[in-house]
Amino acid sequence: MEFLNFLLIFVAGYLVWRKPDKEKLAFRLLLVSLALLVYGFFVGSRTSILPGVNF
Amino acid sequence: MKNQAPFTVLAVAVLALAGVLGTASFVLGFGFGDSPCILCWAQRLGMALVALIGIFILRYGPKPRYVGLGILLGAYGLYMAVRHSGLHLARDVGQGFSVELLGAHTYIWSAFIYWIGVVVMGVLLLLFGEGPLEGGTREPGKLGRAAMAIFLVTIAGNVVQAFVTAGPPPYVGGGDPVRFSFNPSHWAWTFEEYEGPGPGWRGRWAIDKPRLAGLPSDPQQGPLAALPGLAIRRRMPIGVALRGEVSALAAAPDGERFLLTTDAHAVGIVDPTFTRLERSTVVDPAYSVDLGRGFVGAAWLDAQTVMAIAENKSFVLLQTDDHADAASNFRYFLVPTTQWRELQLGRFSTVRARMMYVRSLAYDAGSDSLLTVAVPNRQTPKLVVSRFERGDLTLSEEFEPGLAPGAGLKLATPGRSLGEYYVSGAAVADGRLYALSAAYDTLLVIDLAARQVVGAYAIPGLEQPRGLALRDGEMFVAEAGGRLAVVERPALAPR
Repeated sequence: MEFLNFLLIFVAGYLVWRKPDKEKLAFRLLLVSLALLVYGFFVGSRTSILPGVNF
Repeated sequence: MKNQAPFTVLAVAVLALAGVLGTASFVLGFGFGDSPCILCWAQRLGMALVALIGIFILRYGPKPRYVGLGILLGAYGLYMAVRHSGLHLARDVGQGFSVELLGAHTYIWSAFIYWIGVVVMGVLLLLFGEGPLEGGTREPGKLGRAAMAIFLVTIAGNVVQAFVTAGPPPYVGGGDPVRFSFNPSHWAWTFEEYEGPGPGWRGRWAIDKPRLAGLPSDPQQGPLAALPGLAIRRRMPIGVALRGEVSALAAAPDGERFLLTTDAHAVGIVDPTFTRLERSTVVDPAYSVDLGRGFVGAAWLDAQTVMAIAENKSFVLLQTDDHADAASNFRYFLVPTTQWRELQLGRFSTVRARMMYVRSLAYDAGSDSLLTVAVPNRQTPKLVVSRFERGDLTLSEEFEPGLAPGAGLKLATPGRSLGEYYVSGAAVADGRLYALSAAYDTLLVIDLAARQVVGAYAIPGLEQPRGLALRDGEMFVAEAGGRLAVVERPALAPR
């Protein structure tokens, strides 16, 4: 999933750099990437949402 | 927007982040074979997104939605850094996960990087000056274009590394990845992070607090089979008034006084009839060591010095003193007293019993040390004895006792274990630890030198025992409801 997310970031960054008129598309890719980030956080951290130190 | 200073700062910040992302991928990954775990990826992705938002602002101006997302990602990154570092913070010095850079591991550095990121965002907002944040497509300039290009190169490196290490969807990064390799036969894509327990707040640190209510009491149902019995000779009320319910007791070295503690952090010294209170007080349980939900163990170290311990192994060391200053004592005691001095508040640290609470404390005069017996929990169903030197109050020994060969003890069935006992009272005599279990009302006698259970006895009829003291040929057991049971002491051969 990280591979896909970096790929989205790459495409979004490329659009911003080389095709600035595609701002909406780039922003949508950014939002999808953020959603994937949250998903990855949940997969990796769900067993202990709080930082896993002595409470 | 004519003010170019913020964009210059932003371009430099994006270049710096790109440097971090490029170093992580090209140098640590491709160069040294480092592979991020799933949480490392989560932190690195957050940094990439912060840099991407920087590029959005370089190109489209500081639109509030971009600035807002940047701040949200900064908060996310700081949280993730703590979440990830938390897995390793409590290890011994120098230990950690994967590579160390400049004396700190990568997950620690991520906290610093995100913190710098948030600081930079604040600086940028200041530099943008007064007036509403406004956007508009702009020419990013040479520095901005360089930032974009270098950013994309570093992201390309991470695309490759992520494909090799974590794999294509639906694979996700692993918790314990193998080193990076361009050889496909070494790739180890995994679904392991989808497995395991469901969502929770505190993970493995969510240990249930000890409770005596509801424990099974029938000794014949316990893990040890066919135990001899000890008779309760008499019962007597505890005839003194202390704040809270008595939770533990200990006999003075001369046997002429007893120390009582309660579940409301009271301590008191009484005579052997338990009717005359010599002195008492209530320890402040919150400043500055958290003494938990009351004391659960008591020990008498010498004629003037006593210790009370809470279930979280935090303790207070007290001394009797008939000339103590009440004003000075305000900070230590909830009840004004001129009869006590607080010597020390502290916490015992354990290794084997680290994820376990305790319900007992004992003092071993022979070795001048203190002992606790941890109570089992769902995650750690064990019986662990921990010893602490009195001199430095530091762990010196820890063990799980076994059954002594030739003691005539055996498990009722092969699947049972001593970890089913729930020791709520302890005392030491003649190099033996007497550990009274509130589960199955059983007394275990543990030879401290051999680390073995040399005797076990059923004491049917006890009611939630909490606290054990030895005096002459008898054992004093505090029970629920403020009563004492006086039990015959087992006859053991001299050591």
